Amino acid sequence: MPFLILLIKASLIYGGLLVTAAVMTLAERKISARIQLRIGPNRVGPGGVLQPLADGVKFILKEEITPDGANKGIFRLAPIMAAVPAMLTVAVIPFAGETVIFGLDFGLLSLTDLDIGLLFVLAFSGLSVYGVILGGWASNSKYSLLGGLRASAQMVSYELSLIMTALTVVALSGSMDLREIVEVQNTGNPLAWNCFTPVVGQVGLVLFVIATFAETNRHPFDFAECEPELVGGFHTEYSSMKFALFFLGEYCAMTVMACLTTVLFLGGYSVPFWEDAPWMVELATFMAKTSFFLFLFIWVRWTLPRFRYDQLMNLGWKVFLPIALANLLLAGAFISLT
Amino acid sequence: MIDSGKQPEIKRVEITVNGKTVQARTDKPLIHACLQAESEVPHYCYHPGLSPVGSCRICQVEVQQGKMPARVMVACRTPVAAGMVVDTESKGAHDSRKECLEFLLKNHPLDCPICDKAGECTLQDYSFAEGQGEGRSVEPRRKLEKRKDLGDVIMLDQERCILCSRCVRFMEEVPETPQLCVAGRGSHSIIETWNNQPLSGNYQGNLADVCPVGALTLKSFRFKARVWNLTKTASSCGECSRGCSTTVEVLRAGEIVRIRPRHDEEVNKWWMCDTGRFALDHFSEVDRLVGACMPSATRGWDQFPVEDGLQVAADMLMAAEKPLIVASPWLTVEEGTELLTLGRQLNGRVAFVSPAQNELADDLLHTGDPAPNRRGLTDLGFEALSPEEILSAASEHSSILCIGERVASLLGEDGFNSLPSATRVLLFDCALPAAQEVGNSPIDLAIGLATSAERAGHWVNIDGIRRPILQARPAPTGVWNTVRLLQNLLGLLATREIQS
Amino acid sequence: MVVVQRRELTFWERMYLPEIVRGLVITFKKMFEPRVTRQYPEQAMPTTAVTRGQPRLTVKDDGNIACVSCGLCEAACPAYAITIDGKETDRFIEREPERFDIDMLRCILCGFCEEACPKEAIFMSNELELANTTREGLVYDMEQLKRSTSTLQPRIDYVRKINDRW
Repeated sequence: MPFLILLIKASLIYGGLLVTAAVMTLAERKISARIQLRIGPNRVGPGGVLQPLADGVKFILKEEITPDGANKGIFRLAPIMAAVPAMLTVAVIPFAGETVIFGLDFGLLSLTDLDIGLLFVLAFSGLSVYGVILGGWASNSKYSLLGGLRASAQMVSYELSLIMTALTVVALSGSMDLREIVEVQNTGNPLAWNCFTPVVGQVGLVLFVIATFAETNRHPFDFAECEPELVGGFHTEYSSMKFALFFLGEYCAMTVMACLTTVLFLGGYSVPFWEDAPWMVELATFMAKTSFFLFLFIWVRWTLPRFRYDQLMNLGWKVFLPIALANLLLAGAFISLT
Repeated sequence: MIDSGKQPEIKRVEITVNGKTVQARTDKPLIHACLQAESEVPHYCYHPGLSPVGSCRICQVEVQQGKMPARVMVACRTPVAAGMVVDTESKGAHDSRKECLEFLLKNHPLDCPICDKAGECTLQDYSFAEGQGEGRSVEPRRKLEKRKDLGDVIMLDQERCILCSRCVRFMEEVPETPQLCVAGRGSHSIIETWNNQPLSGNYQGNLADVCPVGALTLKSFRFKARVWNLTKTASSCGECSRGCSTTVEVLRAGEIVRIRPRHDEEVNKWWMCDTGRFALDHFSEVDRLVGACMPSATRGWDQFPVEDGLQVAADMLMAAEKPLIVASPWLTVEEGTELLTLGRQLNGRVAFVSPAQNELADDLLHTGDPAPNRRGLTDLGFEALSPEEILSAASEHSSILCIGERVASLLGEDGFNSLPSATRVLLFDCALPAAQEVGNSPIDLAIGLATSAERAGHWVNIDGIRRPILQARPAPTGVWNTVRLLQNLLGLLATREIQS
Repeated sequence: MVVVQRRELTFWERMYLPEIVRGLVITFKKMFEPRVTRQYPEQAMPTTAVTRGQPRLTVKDDGNIACVSCGLCEAACPAYAITIDGKETDRFIEREPERFDIDMLRCILCGFCEEACPKEAIFMSNELELANTTREGLVYDMEQLKRSTSTLQPRIDYVRKINDRW
């Protein structure tokens, strides 16, 4: 029975994740079109809603190209390395509290409830850099190699700030269990959310969001791709489903990071002024909060230009890291005061 | 007219044209001196090869002589006198010409877009440069016959005619067979033949050349091409041993659409006969022999590239004891030289086909001898043999090499086919003779050649005058010119000799 | 040497984040402005007499082509797109084209042919669409180029008006 429940939960969560990723590709194009006063895809299905499906079919039908001199094994491994960690991390995200569907008790709506859930997330999202750098190296192309190198340097740099900021939340909540973190915030009073912790919360939220942008290689930090300079960056040589896997990985990572931000700073599934809300309301709340961050990802991409590489590194090491450390200290001070 | 006997002594006087001092011939009208001084004097009725009549009045120039005031005169009817000061560009001259032009255009239809002469029409050029944009005449234009048939060669458009009478004078003075006349008086004048009889003679084509406007046009060229699309190449006519200098005009690097005489004072003046002018079929690309071919027992004619054909030819000629080498009189001097070298190397007998006189001979240009380079080949040391002599000599040789355009047809279709089967026959020609079936054809190897419009060289005409033929259009792919062919063959033979 | 004078940034601007927020607000506002995209195949751009589309040949009301194959457009064409062969007719106008090919892949729509034509026989129509799967298919022959005078009338009037100016 628990196995069956796990199976249902897994299919629900992963189905949801993949659907979200697909919807995101469409949303990306639609929102960018709106911002640029265009219409966007509108030929496939009513209003273009079936565009992701058409894209998927196209990706499958495209020719698989492996460049001459590429390291074939690693070349094939890289897209998997990019997609799998992003998908794995979703396992520990709590989407809603106690869930009962048709009398079937699902417990917490999360695939697993790890004590070190946050560590798990950070560890696996750290792994996703391998996909990028291996893909860049195995392609046997100068553009890919440069893109991969830049991306790995960038991701490693910003991971520090990301972890430091996450640590702030761990300090505030006193736990690395994501469920615990949410439950601490879930008091019915939205002011209990970590983002409303004076100074520490606001600075932490901004730092964390920016760091997730860098971590997922999104604009304005998309140095891994960087079309004007590097053609397509690390995935220059990739085509067909291999390219689609990179694409999928990127959008999954975005989704997971949006979920994580919600969990850490916006109280996860906690509904404002309704402590013991039913699971469906909780899930809807969670999705709404996550959607905001997902929208933010797209919104920023179509607003800001790309950084220069040295600016990016300066920002990471000379600004973000000190602020994140100071913020951690501040959090400590805050905890000892209260 | 052409026979250049004793030239009368030419007297010259000094005159000034537009500030330039010119030694003008006294036996020529003033316009000759003006044109010699490279000043542009428009002229329609004047033609250097015809007697001047001064009917068009367009060649007016301002002449000042002695103490007389400057006067506008018709340059083609004014004799040259010492001390004349001529100004072709003065205002008076221009004004007179402009008025004259207006009268010429009074009845001339404005159908340049349709007219075949457009592009090489001096009336068009000059009215564009000098004329006024609109006519002032209120009377209707003359309505005359637009398509008057003047025999097989020429079509007359009487509306376009400006009555310069060049055609009338040409017929009277050059072939001396007067057939055209100006009929009617005043504004009713038209060009006509007597009793509407068609024109005859072998020099009708020149009428289209002498006509300064588009009134007399060649039927064969009518509406076929616009003249500015034609690529013009200097060449010589190969239809008789006169070798008239010609211009070969090619449309879009393909079809030869027109051959016209080119002024050559020593050979043909400004004229050529219709036989040469309309000898276009010979240059058509239909039925050309491209590459090389050999009869094969199973596959009919076995086609292969020229390179391989030359290897076979070298083998055949090496095996021959004392081959008979028969050249066509269309071979150029350069090709003849190469062929003589080949003959020496093979220890062969070298001759060219000397065809019999035909009935086309006249006392103007056509010599009646269809061998354009007879003199050149004879001077090189070729033996002149009639087709019959060659056919009878063929049986004495184990191999016979016939080379040059039309060589097979000069030997006669029956004659060529009756070459003994024991003799090995190599034919280098532009086309295979008609009706060559594998089995009854004497040919053992045939290689295609370029025609005289597709290669360059020199011919020496019957008077010993050396004139060039130039390549007017590219040869079909897979066809070599004769010099290249012979030089490669010589190279192959030398290699085989060294190897053996 | 040019010394670029850069504006001194204010403290607020140097804080960076507020400016980013300002940018985000601008893009957010843009999302609610009317869209400018034209749905092309359904909503074609309207053409006028001034539109210089592909050249077309006029057919007069009596059914005869206006062209006399004078070759002026062929000579004027800077892209060598036009090829004309003429032939004789029985009509008063003695000449008409036997072949009139325009290689639409070569045509640069410059309108020199229209300007050169003495017979009002070739006009730049308002036809702009050009697609085929072969190169040969885009060499238009006379039958493909013929248009009745009435369809080309706006352009004919416009060209006459322009020519009157000179």
